[in-house]
Amino acid sequence: MRRGLISRSKTELPDAVFDARLERLRAAMGELDALLIYTNNTRPAAVSWLAGFIPYWSEALLVAPREGLPILVVALTFRVKQWIERTSRVAEVIHSPRIGIEAARMIASRKADAAVGVVDFDHLPAGIADDLGEAGPRLALSDASDLFAMVRAPADPAEIMLTARASSIAGAALARIEPRDGAGEIVAAVEQEARRSGAEEIYVAIAPDLVRDRRLLRIEGEPALGRRFAVRASVAYKGCWVRRAVTVDRDGGGPEAAQAAFADAVARLPGDRALSRFCSFLVEGCRTAQPLEALMGSRVAEPRTPVAGAVVSVQALIAVEGRPVILGAPALVGASSETASIFP
Amino acid sequence: MADNTPLAAARRHRLLAAMQAAGIDEMVAYGNGWQGDYLRYLSDFGILEGHGIAVIAADGATELFLDSAAEAERAEAEAAGVTVRLCGDVARAVGARLDRGGNRRLAAAPRRFLPAWLADAARGFTIEDGTALLDRLLMHKLPAEIDAIRRAAKIADDAYGEFLKAVAPGRRQYEIVADLEAYLRRRGCPDNFMIIGSGGKDVFGMAPPSERRIAAGDLVTTELTPAVEGYYVQICRTLVVGTATAAQARAFAIYREALEAGIAAAKPGATAADVARAENDVFRKFALGDYVTSKYTRVRGHGMGLFADSKPHILEDVDTPLEPGMALIIHPNTYHPEVGYLVLGDAVVVTETGVEVLCGTPRELFEVPA
Repeated sequence: MRRGLISRSKTELPDAVFDARLERLRAAMGELDALLIYTNNTRPAAVSWLAGFIPYWSEALLVAPREGLPILVVALTFRVKQWIERTSRVAEVIHSPRIGIEAARMIASRKADAAVGVVDFDHLPAGIADDLGEAGPRLALSDASDLFAMVRAPADPAEIMLTARASSIAGAALARIEPRDGAGEIVAAVEQEARRSGAEEIYVAIAPDLVRDRRLLRIEGEPALGRRFAVRASVAYKGCWVRRAVTVDRDGGGPEAAQAAFADAVARLPGDRALSRFCSFLVEGCRTAQPLEALMGSRVAEPRTPVAGAVVSVQALIAVEGRPVILGAPALVGASSETASIFP
Repeated sequence: MADNTPLAAARRHRLLAAMQAAGIDEMVAYGNGWQGDYLRYLSDFGILEGHGIAVIAADGATELFLDSAAEAERAEAEAAGVTVRLCGDVARAVGARLDRGGNRRLAAAPRRFLPAWLADAARGFTIEDGTALLDRLLMHKLPAEIDAIRRAAKIADDAYGEFLKAVAPGRRQYEIVADLEAYLRRRGCPDNFMIIGSGGKDVFGMAPPSERRIAAGDLVTTELTPAVEGYYVQICRTLVVGTATAAQARAFAIYREALEAGIAAAKPGATAADVARAENDVFRKFALGDYVTSKYTRVRGHGMGLFADSKPHILEDVDTPLEPGMALIIHPNTYHPEVGYLVLGDAVVVTETGVEVLCGTPRELFEVPA
């Protein structure tokens, strides 16, 4: 449930950006008559990339026909129509509690047996899949996840700029940590800074005592912090998500050696040999609808190598002289002859 | 792995009894960061990112399937007594798990949110719709659940006090929300749902915070929904920047009367429709009947609990009977043609004889310095 700033800036995301993305998508659509993309506030990335819309609540379907701007069918009520129109680039906003019925009817009214590609088809909510079948019984639905993922990567200049902004917000937020403060005060300070800077969302997680447990938790109540703890900020800015993580040592020991090793390993992406030498690592990025999908990592059973030019967030647990350090930062994967670069 | 919290253990015990009574061998629950109540009931995990599906067997053994690596790590620490499985494709991972189960009776909640692949008739197993079974448990709360809700209501009251301090001319809506969220984190409250509106007759509802600056004369509306141990409680209030006009005060009095009518109607034996009708009749009495239709308002209240917008919805066509242990927000929020969008709502728990009002914030049209 989002409660940060969801707004559209035509400076940061001019119409031409969405038009170019639509153009790329249409060039790849082949025989498809339309593309259908589901969104809710936990799987918003595909629709926000194509039309800017991010639901703070509820769900919607974006219909992208072969021509013209996409049409948004939303379960949100008519009262927030103006807000949706202000934050999205779509031809029309249609309100319906049964978004599957409405979207299928709209597509079928143009062509009853239209070929429709559905992004992340297998994970579409069953109720919506049922409604698509009911209102468009002759529509030929197929999964278009790979098609969409191929078109979406690599990142365009607008996405790189927004990611840089998200990274900058996360960095400034983490800089608000006072090592002597308690967990609640640290989470409050980090979150306040990010939200005041215009973050669409922020999740703060803390590993309260790295000597005892390296897992990053959501804080409820006031757990005691150890001498060394880690804080991770997952920040969204205008649809672009990043994670940054830092380790804080109350005794003042800096993690410089770990930072150098981390930077060196990240620079070698998309290869993961250097990262795999750490205690653990995780590389996340956006392919379709999930903003931060696990791509590679110590626990990822079926890794997907990020493509050149993709934006990723990297996290690693590194042991320096037996002491654990958690670090994390977003990076831009380089082309074949370039090194990957960490966003400042 | 840590032990279950007493609250989670009590929920699980109750769920297993309900499954046994219904002859269900395994229950499947889906959740995500929008609606995670069914998932939390089974697994005690408050999901934020990705898909989550929990499977609980008749003996209480629970597996939690997640597709976010960050969430899987967190769940291993936070969801006691649950086996966490990180998988790239949640639907197929759960499908493989259910395939191994043999001839057992399966139910899912909420079935309409299950990944389409998993619910497809082509699978080798059949999943019945177990939503109604779990809805009953979610609506009719245990004493320990009500206790968490009471604690959240206290935080909601205090947070509205902070909201009054945070609103000032020139401040942007999102800066105000930033301060409120920070206040809640300082209180140890990990989650809150919050929307806001500011302005006059041009405002038809609340939305996420925008860049709009607060101005003298604005009506500022908000609903705050903090959570304690996963249980959300809501409060809705309106303030004026400056001194309320006679029209604003007159309009607000109607909402107060409607809220009081709704609270008076809420008792065991009444239905959600009775509460909505009591609220709406007040508006109709003042010739404002058009403004209680779906064009201007979504619901006249709703359930509260592990989801901020739980069942039952308080609407004139919802015949769910109210019973002791149900937690509700009653809020006659809607547009008023003379002054704009106004909100006022209190959280209540249905008791044996009526309701216990949980919110202590006065039902006033507050004023802050212009």
